[in-house]
Amino acid sequence: MTILTLLRRFGTLIGFVVIVCYFWAQLPDTFMTARNWLNITQQLSMLIVVAAGMTIVMVMNDFDLSVGSMASLSGIVAAMLFSFGYPIWLAVGIALLVGLLGGLFNGVLVGLIGILPFVATLATLTMFSGAAFVVSGGKTISGRVIPEAFGNFARQGIEIGPLTVPNLTIVALAVVALVWVLLEQTTFGRRLYAIGGNLEAAHLSGVPVRRFKLIAFSLTGLSAALAGLLYASRVASANPTQGSGLMLNAIAAVFLGMTMSGQGEPRVLATVLGVLILGVLDNGLTQMAVDSYVRQILVGAIILIAVSFSSISKAKRS
Amino acid sequence: MPLLELSNVSKAYAGTPALRQVDLKIEAGEVHALMGENGAGKSTLIKILAGVVAPDSATIRMDDRLVSIDDAAKAHRLGFRFIHQELNVVPSLSVAENIVMGQRYPRRAGIFVDWKKLNSVAADALRRLGVTHIDPRVKMASLSTGDRMLAKISAALLSADGAPARLYVMDEPTAALTREESEQLFRVLNEIRAAGNSVLYVSHRIDEVMALCDRATVLRDGQSIDSGMLSEITHDDLVAMMTGRKVTETYPAQVAPPSDETAYEGHGLSVRKGEILGLAGLSGSGQTELLRRIFGRPASAWRRGIAYVPKERRSEGLVLTRPIFENITLPHLKTHSLGGAFLAPGRERGFATSMGDDVKLRATSTRQLVQQLSGGNQQKVVFAKALSGEPDLLLLDEPTRGVDVGAKYDIYSVIREMTAKGMAVILASSDLPELLGLCDRIAVMRNGSISIIVEAGLSEDALLNLCYGRATHSEAA
Repeated sequence: MTILTLLRRFGTLIGFVVIVCYFWAQLPDTFMTARNWLNITQQLSMLIVVAAGMTIVMVMNDFDLSVGSMASLSGIVAAMLFSFGYPIWLAVGIALLVGLLGGLFNGVLVGLIGILPFVATLATLTMFSGAAFVVSGGKTISGRVIPEAFGNFARQGIEIGPLTVPNLTIVALAVVALVWVLLEQTTFGRRLYAIGGNLEAAHLSGVPVRRFKLIAFSLTGLSAALAGLLYASRVASANPTQGSGLMLNAIAAVFLGMTMSGQGEPRVLATVLGVLILGVLDNGLTQMAVDSYVRQILVGAIILIAVSFSSISKAKRS
Repeated sequence: MPLLELSNVSKAYAGTPALRQVDLKIEAGEVHALMGENGAGKSTLIKILAGVVAPDSATIRMDDRLVSIDDAAKAHRLGFRFIHQELNVVPSLSVAENIVMGQRYPRRAGIFVDWKKLNSVAADALRRLGVTHIDPRVKMASLSTGDRMLAKISAALLSADGAPARLYVMDEPTAALTREESEQLFRVLNEIRAAGNSVLYVSHRIDEVMALCDRATVLRDGQSIDSGMLSEITHDDLVAMMTGRKVTETYPAQVAPPSDETAYEGHGLSVRKGEILGLAGLSGSGQTELLRRIFGRPASAWRRGIAYVPKERRSEGLVLTRPIFENITLPHLKTHSLGGAFLAPGRERGFATSMGDDVKLRATSTRQLVQQLSGGNQQKVVFAKALSGEPDLLLLDEPTRGVDVGAKYDIYSVIREMTAKGMAVILASSDLPELLGLCDRIAVMRNGSISIIVEAGLSEDALLNLCYGRATHSEAA
C-alpha cells in the first residue's frame, strides 16, 4: 500500500526520469547536452506560458479551451498593427490587451452568466479563431511588415559563459515564476485553491468567487496572448492557425502535473514538469526519427498511463 | 438464536488499530444500537459488514452458521441492507426509479420499460412500510429529506435476486429528519422488528436510542461494550459507557446573563449582546433561509463581524482537501498575511493552533487535512473558523448535527465562553433539548416566518406544540 502511495505520488516523476535515461542511452551524443536542453526549453516556451496560465483556471476546477485561438489572434493583431506602422511596444501592448479582454469575456460567461466553462470557452474558441481569420483576411502575415527587432527577440538570448539562454526561455521562466508566486504565495492563490476545493464553502467564507473567476480567466487569456506573441516572434510571422496545437497540450500538461501533486490539484511547477515530459518525448522521438504520427500515439498513451495510474491507486485508497 | 454474531473482529489501518477484538451480537427481531464517539470505530465496523473493508481477523456467524463477507455483493446476498447518513439518491429521477434502481426494470416486449408496473412495484414497496403519502411518480428532488429516507428504506426492502433483507444498517437515520418524519421511521422500525428482521441502528442521539432500541453495543477506542438490555440501564449509564467518564451535565451553565445592549436587530428579531436566541420549528420552516438573510453577502458579513456556521459542514462549511489552518484563516485571510497580499503560513499556523486550542480541536497538526478528521473535530474547525474574527454575532445552523457527545459538550462550552464575552448567538436547531438547554429566548418559525418568540424555560412538549402551531400560551399574531 505504501509502495502504491509512493508510486501514485512520484510515478510520473519516475516515468520522466526513465524516459530521459532512455533517450540518453539511445542518443548518447546529442540528447543530454546543454544545447539540446536549451533548444527544448525554447521550443516549449510557448506551451509553458499557456500551460502556466491554464493552471490558474484549472485550480478553480475550470478550464479554458480558447487559449489556442487566442494565441493565434494575438499574433495576428500584433502583425496587423505592425503592418499599419505601429511601434513594437504599442502593437505588443494592444495584442496583450486583446488577450486580457478575451479572457475577461470568458470570465464573464463562466463567472457572471454561469455557463459551463466547456461550453463557454468552446464558443469563444470559435469566435477568437474566426476573428483571427477576419483580421488577417485568412492570410499569413510575414516578410517586411514584421519589424526586424521583433523577429530578432526570439533569436537572441543572454549569454552565460559558453551558452546562450534564449530570450523565449527566459520569458517562459519569468511567467512560471510569476504564476508560482501568485498561486502559492499570495492570498489570491490560496483563495483560488479554496474555490477549487469547495466553491460553496469558499463563497460562504467570504471569498469573492465571481471577481476571482473574472481575474483568473483574464490572466489565462493574457498568458495565451503572450504565447502567441512569442510564437510570432520566433517565426517572424503570424498566421491565423498558429496556436491551434497549444490548447490540448496545455491541458494535457496540467493533467500530467496533477498526477504528481498531493491532493491531485494543479500546481504550476508540476505543470512545467508536465510540459517537459511532453517536450522531451517529442524531442527524443524526433531525434530517433520516429514517425510524427506514431509520436502522437505514443504521447497520448503516456498521458493515459500517467493519469490512469493515479486514478487507479486513488480508487484503491478510498 | 442470534441473527448475526460477530466475534473477535480486529482491524488496523497502517498499524493503528481501529477495532480490537470487537464483539457484536444482534438477535432476530431486534433493533440494536451501535454507539460510540466519532473515531471509536463505528464506520470501520459497518464497512466490514458491508464487505467494503476486510477485517484482519473476525468470526462471523449468521443463523449460527459460519459465513464470510467477501465483498458488497456477498453482504447483499446475506440480506444486509445499508441506509447511509448521506442519502445517495438520484434527485432527477422519479421516486419509483430510485426505489427500483439497481434491479432490472419491469419491461414490455423485452425492451420497453413498463412504467405502470415500475410505479406499482414501487408503490407496493412503500406501502409495506405503511407509507401512502408518497407518489412514486414524482421526482425524488421534490421529496423532503425524511421522505427520501423512507423511499431509500423501501428500496432496501425490495429484494431483486431472491436474497431477502434480514438486517438493516441505518447510519444516523434521523440526523436530517423532522420529528414527524422520525416518528414515521420509528413505526417502520417496529414493522421490521415485527417481521422478525433486525436493525443495526447507529446514532448519537441517546434519548432516541433509549426509547427505540432493545440493546446497544458501545464502541470506545476500538473496543466493544455490550450494554445489555437498555430498559435496565439509565441514560447516564449509556453516556458513561461511551465516554468512559461520568458526564453529569449535558449543557454547560450560563456564565453571565446577557446584557441589555442590542447586538443585532432586523428581519423580525433582535438579539442582545451575550444572548443566545434559538430558532425552533419543523424542518423547512425557514430557519436556514432566515439565517442566510441575516448573514447577507458573505464577504461583507464577515467584515461586519457576523460569522456563520452553515448546516452542511462538508459541502458548505469546509474545504475538505485543504489543511486545517487554511480553513480557519479563510474568512479573514488578509489579516493574517503580509500587507494583505502575501501569505505568512507560519503566522497563520500559529493563529490556527491557538484557535484550535480554544475549541478543543484534537488534531496532530494544523497542517492535517480536514478530511482526515472525525465529524466532531471537523465541526470544531468550522467553529474555529467562525470565531477567528472575534465576531459580534454568530449564526449557527444545526451546529451539533452528527457530532458525538464529548465534542458536543466542547462546542457548547465554546458558545458559552464567547457569549460571556459579549458575543450574540442565533442558534437554529431541530434538537429541542439543545435549544432549551442553551437559549435565553426561542423564536418559533412556521411557514417561513417567526410566529412567536418565547422566553426559554418552557417544557419540551410546550415548545413542540408551538412548532406545530398548537399554541399553549397566548399566541402572538
